Amino acid sequence: MGKTIVEKIMAKAVGKPEVSPGEYVKMGIKDTYIQIGSDIGALNFREYERLGWDKFFDPEKVMIAPEHCGTWSRPQDNMSNRESHRITKEWALSLGVPKENILDLGRVGTCHHLPIEKGWALPGGVYLHSDTHCPTAGGVGCLGINLSASEPAFLRLGWMWFRVPKSIKFNITGKLQDGVMGRDVFEYILSQIGPAGAVYQAMEFTGPVMEDMSIDGRLSMCCLSIFTGAKTGIVNPDQKVIDWFKARTEVPFEPQYSDPDAEYVKTYNYDGSKIEPQVVVPPYRRTVKPVSQVEGTKITTAFIGSCASGRDEDLRIAARILKGKKIHPDVMFNITPGSAETMLRTDKEGILSTLLEAGCLVCAPSCSMCPGFYTPLAKNEVCIASSTTNVPGRMGEDSAQVYLGSPATVAASALAGKIVDPRKYL
Amino acid sequence: MALKFKGKVWVFGDNLDVDKEIIPFREREMGLMKDGNFGKWVMTPVDPDFPKKVKKGDIMVVGTNMGCGHGHWHANIGIKQAGISCVIAESFDRNFFKNSVNMGLPIIELEGINKVVKEGDELEVDLEAGTVKNLTNKKTLKFTPLPDFLLEIMAAGGIEPYTNKLIAEGKI
Repeated sequence: MGKTIVEKIMAKAVGKPEVSPGEYVKMGIKDTYIQIGSDIGALNFREYERLGWDKFFDPEKVMIAPEHCGTWSRPQDNMSNRESHRITKEWALSLGVPKENILDLGRVGTCHHLPIEKGWALPGGVYLHSDTHCPTAGGVGCLGINLSASEPAFLRLGWMWFRVPKSIKFNITGKLQDGVMGRDVFEYILSQIGPAGAVYQAMEFTGPVMEDMSIDGRLSMCCLSIFTGAKTGIVNPDQKVIDWFKARTEVPFEPQYSDPDAEYVKTYNYDGSKIEPQVVVPPYRRTVKPVSQVEGTKITTAFIGSCASGRDEDLRIAARILKGKKIHPDVMFNITPGSAETMLRTDKEGILSTLLEAGCLVCAPSCSMCPGFYTPLAKNEVCIASSTTNVPGRMGEDSAQVYLGSPATVAASALAGKIVDPRKYL
Repeated sequence: MALKFKGKVWVFGDNLDVDKEIIPFREREMGLMKDGNFGKWVMTPVDPDFPKKVKKGDIMVVGTNMGCGHGHWHANIGIKQAGISCVIAESFDRNFFKNSVNMGLPIIELEGINKVVKEGDELEVDLEAGTVKNLTNKKTLKFTPLPDFLLEIMAAGGIEPYTNKLIAEGKI
């Protein structure tokens, strides 16, 4: 019996010929790096101090970057994010982390954009991080699993325990319509299988639609995979993924692929040609409707950014929709590029100018509005966002309502002042 | 810590989100939990009086996908601080499962638990033996215990005390 890509990556990481679903393993990282957000790093530092620990398992494997807060500091926190970066930096240096592993604002971005751009997560490798959305790396065939609060222990031990998940195959056939994005495919799947549809399992996305899809779209889908209860999401890497990393890193990597006779607990087949833009309706993350059912809902705010979007493709489609136009006068539209690299590339393409001319606010690469950092929602505002989630209060005031849609849906809605079908604006 | 508990049952439903239902995100972000006592906020979005009603040693019995949403560990700590000795669920969100073992909150995944337990029942659970006895209706359920190294982490009180143990024993 063959093995899935997830089982093969885990077997390789633990140095066993094979592992099987349900098995518990102690797994570390080999070719890849552990990336610490310096905003979280100060907490790790405090934890290390409290426990009296004075060692990293391997300082050379540790990367430090301010990645959640950007330039922003929360009034309720005890320290500014510059202060937490200083603390993390000094702590890391004192434990032997090489200087060149410590990055600062201006050359970083949102946490899960970074490892893909810097080559810290690699096809066939393992990407571990304290944040919920690290399955994002699955978009390039890297197994992303979240460490959550066990990050300090991982830094000391160099391994963490994991359960090998069963895999579910999602075979998306056909071809997506223009204006329908990777995100819509994921939300459509969520609407079909529900918020507990893949609990503790790996979602493997395959089929002609996935082959056709950009790396950006795949990253977005894998980022969101946790909302079905999944442990991770993954796509078998193809030539464009290999080329992407070959251009970015000297570190050799060994991509893994699912065997044709691998075992899946379930296989779902969907016709991608029939998927229309999808919108998540507040207050629950699990209520997904086709855009036609919420069209006309008035909005005050729009946001593109976070680890779920804010990539080149997302800014590009927003610019395509907004080119030569002005957004609705009642709407504030925050567009936060996911990283300094994306900001630079989209600037060179003229995308940023288009967005600024349309009246958008462009913020420094960071999580931005997603957890209510930049421009938090005011009372009773109605927002459409392509960020991760819409838990009440997450993006600002409790009474604010957050709809979630693809970057195309967000941009078209910002133009119209109400939720609309982006296919009519392309 | 012995991995055996006896307590009264509190029942909650499916898909409890760590931020929406277990520990209210907004209040946490506003800094209202800076004192580190998440226990007094546990389940308040569902039942505002829950932290007052719950007694030390009580057991939570919930449905599927327990602790879904973001992997915020405050939920696991909060449940422990509120006095809950053990959480039994039809299934767990993986972040919640991981955080529970690593923070020393005993948990049991047991499909069908809601068919033999109702609120107010008295349960006796043994994580090593793999048994849940309902002392009220005399029914017993069995489950496959977690592997020893995970029970060891849980019994040590979480991954950090466990790491300290390894350091003290000169193993790392």
